[in-house]
Amino acid sequence: MSRTLRILVADDAETITTLLMTSLELKGYEVVTARNGIEAHEFGMNEEFDLVILDQLMPGLSGLEVIRKWHDEGIDVPVIMLSGVDDEKTVVDSLDLGAVDFVRKPFRLPELMARIRQRLRTVESDGTEQQADDKNGSAGR
Amino acid sequence: MEANQTAVLIVLIVITIDAVLLASLIILKGIHRRRMLGHEKRRAGYMTLLAHHLTYPDSTEPIGRKTAEDPAFLDAVIDLRNAVAGPEIDTLARIIGRYGMAGAQARRLRSRFPLGRRLRAAVALAEMGDESSAESLMEFLGDREPEVRIQCARGLGRMRWTPAIDAIVDRFNVETPWVRSRFTSTLVGFGPKATWPLIAYIRVNHRFESAGPSAAIRALGVIGDTQAGPPLIEILEEAKDPEIQIAAIEALGAVGGPLALKTLIREFDSDDWRLRAKAATAIGDIGDPLAIPTLAAGLEDTDWWVRRNSAAALTRLPGGQWALYDALASKDRYAQDAAAEALADAGELIAARSREKSGTATARDQALLSHMTPEYSMTGS
Repeated sequence: MSRTLRILVADDAETITTLLMTSLELKGYEVVTARNGIEAHEFGMNEEFDLVILDQLMPGLSGLEVIRKWHDEGIDVPVIMLSGVDDEKTVVDSLDLGAVDFVRKPFRLPELMARIRQRLRTVESDGTEQQADDKNGSAGR
Repeated sequence: MEANQTAVLIVLIVITIDAVLLASLIILKGIHRRRMLGHEKRRAGYMTLLAHHLTYPDSTEPIGRKTAEDPAFLDAVIDLRNAVAGPEIDTLARIIGRYGMAGAQARRLRSRFPLGRRLRAAVALAEMGDESSAESLMEFLGDREPEVRIQCARGLGRMRWTPAIDAIVDRFNVETPWVRSRFTSTLVGFGPKATWPLIAYIRVNHRFESAGPSAAIRALGVIGDTQAGPPLIEILEEAKDPEIQIAAIEALGAVGGPLALKTLIREFDSDDWRLRAKAATAIGDIGDPLAIPTLAAGLEDTDWWVRRNSAAALTRLPGGQWALYDALASKDRYAQDAAAEALADAGELIAARSREKSGTATARDQALLSHMTPEYSMTGS
């Protein structure tokens, strides 16, 4: 039986968190929301997520700073960066720091959902491979 | 004794009135707070409901007329309208249309309500950007309240309602500078579609008006449509008003093109130092190295601003820095100063100092160092 995939949505705009939380929950995902960078960082440190949707401009810590801190602390989680800032540097910095995708605000919901699905398929297939490896490992013992 | 009693009575009355006023204020604040909290709670609930509709555009989840009339629902629609793009905008437009939300706000705008309520209606219409309200917004472009006019123009701009371009431009002459600057921002949002209406307005008005046509010319510069180049040149050549000439020079710098460059170079012959100074900056904006000799001559201008702007423009042109280094050897002390300062501003002084420290300074570096640090030429290498 497959487990429910968990997503962290971090954005200081309540409109965005409500919209994404509702849409993702309707699609069967478990969603946790954070309203600033510090809260997002804490969640990432204390809980496990299959995907994080992170706003770039947030109070406390910016999205880039959150990714950087997680990176330094050995937290490895796929991040889709959301940003209303449309400069190339932010996109490049985000991807360089390990974000798997970058979506500009205002976004098209179906497109964002498709990107999320695509990312989670990768996570799921990695999980299946891991399970298969574990199974093979235990069978071999 | 009686006087004392009267004084005590007065004090008691004052204290009672104060207490009643304070209590009323606290109660009113409490009521307002409760209303705001209720509004926010309902808005959050509506946001979830609307998110459901955006996720499943064919959703049958009921909204209801009463909900649609709630100001909290309107806020939720507007917030989402600003957060999403593409097909979700259409979904929200369908909801706005189905429940006559734009019509309700247009009626408020038309009412005799106090300004605050009418202004909220104008802002709501502008934010919704629903085409069904375009006619109302056009009608209120001439409202007696400036903020209402600004919001109406903004709304028309958001929905890219092209018939509004002429209507907005036509109001340039009668508006205050503040409203005009907001109208200009709206017109810029229309992009090249606004180019020819703006040009037509400037051609008719630039001989009689200054502020309106200047704002329109600046809008052309921000839009940056190259088609505006030749008409701007024509306006610059015809205009007698320095404000219009300055605006046209700035706009030509933004629009660019070889014709613009020739015209701007000609402006260096102007008797008015403001036009020469603006032309130098505009040439720098175009960035064509053909203008290097003109700007190099500008370093020896009689006016400080022309020298400064020419030097700054040279730092932005490919190969322009060499003209600045050459000017360090000029006989004109002012040209030397302008060139040295521009080179320093461009980071050349720091680079020269660093090369000097590492023993790799060139003759040009030494010329700049000796100009910027007089003691260098005395102790120098």
